[in-house]
Amino acid sequence: MSERTPGDLWERIEPLLLRVERPSRYLGCEWDAPGIAGEGTTVVLAYPDLYEVGISNLGLAILQDVVNDIEGASCERVYSPWFDMEREMRSAGLPLFSLETHRAVSTYDIFGISIPHELTYTNIINLLDLAGISLRADNREEGPLVIGGGCGTANPEPLAPFLDLFVLGEGEEVLDSLVRLVSEGKSRGWDRRKLLSEASRLEGVYQPSDYEVDYRDDGLIERIEPVGGAPERVRKRTVDLNEWLYPRHPIVPFCEAVHDRINVEIFRGCTRGCRFCQAGMICRPVRERSVDAVVGLVDALAVRTGHEEVALSSLSSTDYTMIKAVTEKVSEICEKRRMILSLPSLRMDGFSVELASSLELGGRGSFTFAPETGTERLRRVINKPISEKDIIDAVLCAVRAGRRRIKLYFMIGLPTETDEDVEAIGRLVFGLRDTVRGEGMVPPVFNVSVSTFVPKPHTPFQWVKQENLESIERKQGILRETLRAKGINLSWHDSRMSTVESLLARGDRRLADVIEYAWASGCRFDSWSEHFDYARWEAASEKAGVDPEFYLYREREPDEVFPWEHLDFGPDRDFLYEEYQGALRGETSPDCRGGKCRECGVSEEPGACLVLTGTWSS
Amino acid sequence: MSCPHRYLEFVTVEPLRLRVQFAKRGKARYLSHSEFSRTLMISARRAGLPLQYSGKYRPRMKVSLSPPLPIGVTSECELVDFFLEQYVSPAEAEQALERSLPDGIQVVRCRLMGSDAKPVGKLIDTAAYRVQLPTETGNEGDWKRAVEIFLGMEVVNLERVQPRRTRVVDLRPGVHELEAGIGPDGSGVELFMVLDDGTRGTVKPSEVLRVLADLAGAAEGSWRDALVHREGLFARRGGRLVSPLELGKHRPAV
Repeated sequence: MSERTPGDLWERIEPLLLRVERPSRYLGCEWDAPGIAGEGTTVVLAYPDLYEVGISNLGLAILQDVVNDIEGASCERVYSPWFDMEREMRSAGLPLFSLETHRAVSTYDIFGISIPHELTYTNIINLLDLAGISLRADNREEGPLVIGGGCGTANPEPLAPFLDLFVLGEGEEVLDSLVRLVSEGKSRGWDRRKLLSEASRLEGVYQPSDYEVDYRDDGLIERIEPVGGAPERVRKRTVDLNEWLYPRHPIVPFCEAVHDRINVEIFRGCTRGCRFCQAGMICRPVRERSVDAVVGLVDALAVRTGHEEVALSSLSSTDYTMIKAVTEKVSEICEKRRMILSLPSLRMDGFSVELASSLELGGRGSFTFAPETGTERLRRVINKPISEKDIIDAVLCAVRAGRRRIKLYFMIGLPTETDEDVEAIGRLVFGLRDTVRGEGMVPPVFNVSVSTFVPKPHTPFQWVKQENLESIERKQGILRETLRAKGINLSWHDSRMSTVESLLARGDRRLADVIEYAWASGCRFDSWSEHFDYARWEAASEKAGVDPEFYLYREREPDEVFPWEHLDFGPDRDFLYEEYQGALRGETSPDCRGGKCRECGVSEEPGACLVLTGTWSS
Repeated sequence: MSCPHRYLEFVTVEPLRLRVQFAKRGKARYLSHSEFSRTLMISARRAGLPLQYSGKYRPRMKVSLSPPLPIGVTSECELVDFFLEQYVSPAEAEQALERSLPDGIQVVRCRLMGSDAKPVGKLIDTAAYRVQLPTETGNEGDWKRAVEIFLGMEVVNLERVQPRRTRVVDLRPGVHELEAGIGPDGSGVELFMVLDDGTRGTVKPSEVLRVLADLAGAAEGSWRDALVHREGLFARRGGRLVSPLELGKHRPAV
């Protein structure tokens, strides 16, 4: 086997492996795992969930390649150890180690942690603790720079005390600059403080300690004040997708992962403007990757990985202006290499379904749609104005193409929602079934998944209150009553999980204690329903003296200072508020690709932000 | 064939099988059977072998696998039959595969088989293991005695715990050879076992080890750190063990 790097803990890790489920989670040495010399500037990137989830994350695959392309730098990986491995590691006194060289995470220069969503926060704390790194940034005198990135940075405030820095927006360029800066700092002998202060000046890097938060007596924020010359607001970064052609060496896991496929992004951002959707707001503007670049990546990765499936990914794949051209070319590669093509995030319209059917995407099994709500009125409120006819057409088309299972995503707890809207979900599903029957076809199985709406920062609904548990449970009862039939399977997310997600989503720095107490009382893997423990979160809030209702069930004042006020993800507050008011009036806003710029604030010049590869027709 | 002219063209593309013997060592020994077989299959895709698939919408690679290897056991004989659509020279296939395998997995050898050959999954019934015992499990004499007692028993009952059910099985008929001796480096005791594995049932090396350790008076659980290595997989023909890579060797593959 390969020679050992100094500090390699393998000899202490190996004896634990036969005592845990799926030892391959901790091995490394997968296909295309990078060879690491262990010299120069060392980076370890973490995903705060199980290996099978983390290995499927596109962001980390991209960033690992980006760093490994920098001369004199190397990037390794670590994932959250499962319960059994954590027990073994703690009892053996073994610290968190990287998968490539099995060295202690605390010995690296940069410890980057992906923040995918709120229910991974306790896992993030656990990673720090297992690594033997002080939980609070204030207490760190040495050790790696602890940097957070990913979608969760839209409001990183509840995590602010635990991380040294956050990277806002897309990480490719910033991480590249950060790594080069750390290399420079190492050669010049900068201390940790100097390094942090230099790093915090990079565009897109947010150092929480650069901002002081003053609270009023009523608990609201008085102001968020930059100190030491920090800018008023930190703006997120975006990159040019045609310049950053990554990932180039995605690692092929031994085990079955969440997504076993090549993942190539066709564009970032989304212009539809669904008012509940955080990604659609914070990932603006839309930037399409050229057809040639997409095809080139697919071809190279097909040879390199051997995968049997390729996904062309984005927030709404059929919105890609050259979707027909790109799918035709990718299909050719698929035929040659015996791969199947999938297009996640399909819209519910005839064009999307016909395209998908013509490509026989993903075989003949299931087709997933997201009508989101039961009534057209409520779909106007959330600005996803799909008509009932669109939905019926899409389902009919899918059934004609031979789909035997239709998955439908809905949300409950949306602003202005009434019981009638909830009951309409049942009517819609039964209507779909009857229409299919009316056309002389056997209805497919409908898997109806209903989640609880959580208002998110930087969206038009950041002002609204979370619907309370009793009300959500009552609405779930309505669904249970109205959706009882053979061939219709109803499932929903645990609404208590949504409650914790909601608490943290719009939380401030005062919630850090809640997270730490929840972790200390044993919370891990909170997004896994079998491991989620609401009682521990309740106890943690109480211990921290935090009233969750203040964060959850309070309609925000129009001019209230939000905990994320100093973080600029593109859309202006005024734009978001207008959108919110439009929602309450039941008015829709047009897609910005249609030519009429809504001046959301992403670009100075109206409409100048879009990067399209072709002309758009809705 | 009754109508040779009609089929003439097909002769060259008649389904072939590439029988590959892999070794699984080092970190790869911690892969489960499903992880290991997935890895071999995706490696074969990377190697660009002319693989055969079945099923239209979700194509499935056609392969036949040798019996599972327990996690933690190393092996120099893991067999896979890859069903091919076209001819590929075994030497070329070996090189291409070797380049496409992750660390810890190597190709030992390759051989083309005709389409009428029995696939490995239906062929193998016997496995040979070599086991290095940790020194604290006892000396050569203890183990030799244990082996003698074991071989003299008519019935060796053991409780086999499986996820769904637990039952008592008799290991004895599945144990064909058993020896204890000092290993080649002279350091510790080594066991050699030939056990049922595959189409006629399976006795795991750890099961034999558990019984022997008890007979040898080894400290509770001390045998668990033994290094188990699968040396070969065979088909029993009368009293002979035949290697699946030797079978039908005198018949041309194509």
